[in-house]
Amino acid sequence: MTATRLLPTLHAPRLIARAMSIFTALVGLLHTGVAGAVPSFARQTRMACASCHTVFPELTHFGRMFKAGGYVIDNLKQVKDVSLERKENLSLSDLPPLSLMIQVSDTQLAKPLPDTAKAAGSAQNGTVAFPQQVSIFYAGKIAPHVGAFLQLTYANDSGTIGIDNVDLRYADMRVLPNDQSLVYGVSLNNNPTVQDLWNSTPAFGFPFVSSNSALGLPYATQIDGSRGQDVAGISAYVFWKESVYAELGVYRSAKQGTAGPLDSTSAGGVLATAAPYWRVAYETNQGPHSLMLGTYGMSFQLYPDLAGCPSCNPPTTTGYGNLLGGPSDRFRDVAFDLQYQFLSEPHTASVMATHIHEAQTLNASVLAGAAQRLDNTLTTSRVTATYYYKRQMGGSLNAFSTTGTQDDLYIATTTHAPDTRGVTAELSYLPWLNTKFSLQYTAYTKYAGLKQNYDGLGRNASDNNSLYVVAWLAY
Amino acid sequence: MTSDLKLPLNARSRASIPRWRVSALLLATVLLLPATHAWSDGAPNAVQHLAVGVCATCHGARGISNLSKIPVLAGQSEAYLTAQLHAFKTQTRGDADAIGYMWGMAADLTDEQILNLSHYYATAAAPAETHASSRQTVMAQISVGHDIYTQGIVERGVPACSACHGQEAHGLGDFPRLAGQHAAYITKQLLAFQNTTRDVAVMHAVTTTLQHAEMTAVATYLQSLP
Repeated sequence: MTATRLLPTLHAPRLIARAMSIFTALVGLLHTGVAGAVPSFARQTRMACASCHTVFPELTHFGRMFKAGGYVIDNLKQVKDVSLERKENLSLSDLPPLSLMIQVSDTQLAKPLPDTAKAAGSAQNGTVAFPQQVSIFYAGKIAPHVGAFLQLTYANDSGTIGIDNVDLRYADMRVLPNDQSLVYGVSLNNNPTVQDLWNSTPAFGFPFVSSNSALGLPYATQIDGSRGQDVAGISAYVFWKESVYAELGVYRSAKQGTAGPLDSTSAGGVLATAAPYWRVAYETNQGPHSLMLGTYGMSFQLYPDLAGCPSCNPPTTTGYGNLLGGPSDRFRDVAFDLQYQFLSEPHTASVMATHIHEAQTLNASVLAGAAQRLDNTLTTSRVTATYYYKRQMGGSLNAFSTTGTQDDLYIATTTHAPDTRGVTAELSYLPWLNTKFSLQYTAYTKYAGLKQNYDGLGRNASDNNSLYVVAWLAY
Repeated sequence: MTSDLKLPLNARSRASIPRWRVSALLLATVLLLPATHAWSDGAPNAVQHLAVGVCATCHGARGISNLSKIPVLAGQSEAYLTAQLHAFKTQTRGDADAIGYMWGMAADLTDEQILNLSHYYATAAAPAETHASSRQTVMAQISVGHDIYTQGIVERGVPACSACHGQEAHGLGDFPRLAGQHAAYITKQLLAFQNTTRDVAVMHAVTTTLQHAEMTAVATYLQSLP
């Protein structure tokens, strides 16, 4: 969330301190909170998981339509009321759409991380997270046409319960001539792309679960999870013939942990204006084949916070950000994505890909001496192929790559380069459709710009390779 | 702060165009689009809304699904559709997809909705085009399937399907239309009758000695019919 902003401001003079700082920030960045498989939907619709998911949390076409329709298909008995004119004014499920999710994991790194106090020492390898995450969901209908996906999460890294992904929706449908459908709606949410229907976009993209004690991408684009739970947005969408999807929205900063008006001290910076978000996708379904081609993006201006910048001119201990209203950093994210699904029995397979390009114009950072270059770029690509047999046993293979401009001030790593790439392989077994046991291995071929000695302390990219075992129970 | 940095014009002065207003305008346009659209066929009735808004996601527009495991409903016998929806609702039809999908979907349907939905799909135009392939293996299957459908397999006591489902497989009353149905769906149902997960005594008796290849042949033949 805010870790991507913290990194550029961490300009500790000594390499050891820098490495420790990066580690701390990275661990924070890895709290992704991706989780979209909610048994309360199954209870509400009285339909099996397989209606909406290939294997949770990946959505089928029906699952996408359920989401676009506002999570309101309800086959339970209702508590009802009507006005004197017999107009219905209450329709409440007799079962609240609540669910619980637990993730328990163990992470083994190829080489232990340095001790956070003394680099000569090593952290313990083999990190048990019990639990890594526990979430409570209210996921389902609130009223006719109004539904919610609301997640509260306890995570072991924060040690607290906090708001996680939220997507509140109003949706309706019109029947057009020739029995064509036009679904339309509004989403109020706190994470750009959490409202999206496809699993090729960041919020519900692969990996659906990942270790929070292994190192992830040192830098991510803004739309790639960096603003989750840091903003609030409203977007309107239309979905014509279950095929052509268009969405337009705006986001504003909406931080947790503070109720007062945002100012220059707000951690993670403050969006200067309402930030537009857009999404266009075309989906076609033929027999067992489903193909989606799409594009999405976001553009915004950010007032950097006053989080501290020792390398700024002049150095500051409280940060380099200006008062709100001063210069801002601009980020323009444009992404393309693709999803192909083959749904048959007993085989299901899918391919998901996205390519995100971010153009940064760092007016505020350059002015403060916290960035060397005015115009930087950051580009992330991911491709994932997944196969399951009987929706019970299967796995995914994922390749990822992030490249970007080297900036001696803005990027805090030793190399000052964000370039990172590698692969993730995952094997999963689901004895029941709502219980998943996964073995995940991530291998890096480049990390923060280099294959070897990327931190100046002798640590290689492959030292960050991780083996991750996780049990994911949703009920 | 450094004061001599040469920033481009747009870096010195923040965007003078209030972009949020542009966004808000576009947002309002999208929001108002459905409300201002002139719906040429007037207000859709409730059953059409249900069929197009919910059922069509799996069963296709006007009941012609393009997913082979999901049945075509267009042109189906009205009585048969009504009976099946009641069977889903009362959870007496027990094949796998009936349990996973339709038990839930039919759970809250009223008798009136069931009748209206059955009528909606019964009066929808059945698939006009057949799915027949000209490949030799498919043609051979169609030929075998035709013989089983019209004559049965006498030596094993399998009766002719056409006796109940009609010479053209258009169904009648409680006997469903099979012409133009997805072959994969028919095969799946025949297997379900055979292993009694879909417990229909007559069809269980018919399918008891039927072999998988014969089921596939009949299904392929039926799919090819208009």
